[in-house]
Amino acid sequence: MRPAAASVVLGLALAVGAPTAWALSRPDAAAGPPVDQVLERPADPTTAPPASTLPEVSVRDAAPTVAPEIAPPARLEVPGLGVTAPVDPMGIAGDGQMALPEDVDRVGWYRFGPEPGAAGNSVIAGHVDDREQGPGALFPLRTAEPGEEIAVTDAAGGTTRWRVVSREVVEKDVLPLDEIFRRDGPPRLVVITCGGPFLPEFRSYRDNVVVVAEPVGGTTP
Amino acid sequence: MSTVRTLGRTAGALGVAGGLVLVATPALADNHTATVSVLHGVPELPVDVYANGERLIDDFQPGTLTDPLELPAGSYDLALFPADAPDGSGDPLLSADGVSVPAGANATVVAHLTEAGEPALTPFVNEVGDIPAGQARVTVRHVAAAPAVDVRAGGQVVVDGLSNPNEESLTVPAGTVNADVVLAGTDTVAIGPADLDLAEGATTIVYAWGSEDAGYELAVQSISGQHSAPSGVPGGSAGLADDSGLPLPVGAAAVAGVALAAAGAFRLARSSR
Repeated sequence: MRPAAASVVLGLALAVGAPTAWALSRPDAAAGPPVDQVLERPADPTTAPPASTLPEVSVRDAAPTVAPEIAPPARLEVPGLGVTAPVDPMGIAGDGQMALPEDVDRVGWYRFGPEPGAAGNSVIAGHVDDREQGPGALFPLRTAEPGEEIAVTDAAGGTTRWRVVSREVVEKDVLPLDEIFRRDGPPRLVVITCGGPFLPEFRSYRDNVVVVAEPVGGTTP
Repeated sequence: MSTVRTLGRTAGALGVAGGLVLVATPALADNHTATVSVLHGVPELPVDVYANGERLIDDFQPGTLTDPLELPAGSYDLALFPADAPDGSGDPLLSADGVSVPAGANATVVAHLTEAGEPALTPFVNEVGDIPAGQARVTVRHVAAAPAVDVRAGGQVVVDGLSNPNEESLTVPAGTVNADVVLAGTDTVAIGPADLDLAEGATTIVYAWGSEDAGYELAVQSISGQHSAPSGVPGGSAGLADDSGLPLPVGAAAVAGVALAAAGAFRLARSSR
């Protein structure tokens, strides 16, 4: 009688406890305020209606110039998650998506957007995994918590330091791309990989994991 | 080509019937202003520019460009005087009366020479629609005292037979191109070669200006802020980070627990009978 009762209790505990413990121990889909709220553009200062008189005019030489070289980001580090990855400047893939390095141990910086520390959102993204190569450099990104520190070192050796303010898993269909790739406003770092349910028929994930970080106060990017 | 009227040099203000009408383009922030830039492309002739009798630009030098001006929409009388003229009275070098600047327009007014070498004022409407991610828009305008030209990039003709005061626009992958200008249908280089930075998501307007006597040159105007975001961010093909359901060991443990509880309950029920 006793062992029977014990096995009922134990069995129920296992049946309920295992999934509960698993659910409690896995990272939440989101941490911190929602990404689109964090990325929301600060309200424009109300501009005075245009004066009726003519504006001040500034004039400059129109001769062709070549854009000044900037030092692109070269290394991404998230010490709290054990992430260290070389960064490659990347553009647009043939399908119109952001291009990413084939090597999942490397991550890509969207070179048409701002460099880390300049006005707007600097976007760094990488594959979460690959069928042949296994987990990618950004595999732990889905466990990033607000307050996590990120460092980006550029090719000239300069470093910008960031602190995570938000992490969210967002379905790719509704990813706020215009907000994420914004080129004006306060400087932010946005780190993106894949996550959510894996869709074997598409060999891809349904969602993106989006982490937004703000400059650590006091550092001059 | 946009609606353009070219004015001859005849001294004194030339009233232009109907004025110059710039085509309005939508999607600019303010409903009551227009964005107007002015480029000076008449060699060796510094000027003062007056709008509605007020001096807008003082001592405007050839080869220079104003930053974009937010002007209240409306009608403007434009006049160019020699830079050493005391004020906007008397006979201007060039003028255009009743230039209509509609709200939302983005335009560049160019003072330049015609093919025959006469000074002229030509307003061009700048294309400012969204550009696909990764691409750049380049607009080429011929405002030099020269016959038709071809524009080459990396040795290949990309704009062919462009004549004064016309323009042509292309959308190309962003990047730096090495460009030159040749007399149409020849390999006779008139300007360049020069490296042009075609920034992604921006319109780069390249002007060929000048004259045979003063030399031909390029002027560049850049209008940014027409970029588009990538269509998405890819990122994984293995499913190792899949979080769609219970992992197998967790599920197995739960199933085993249910079986264990059921077995215990069955034994309890039998023994209590």
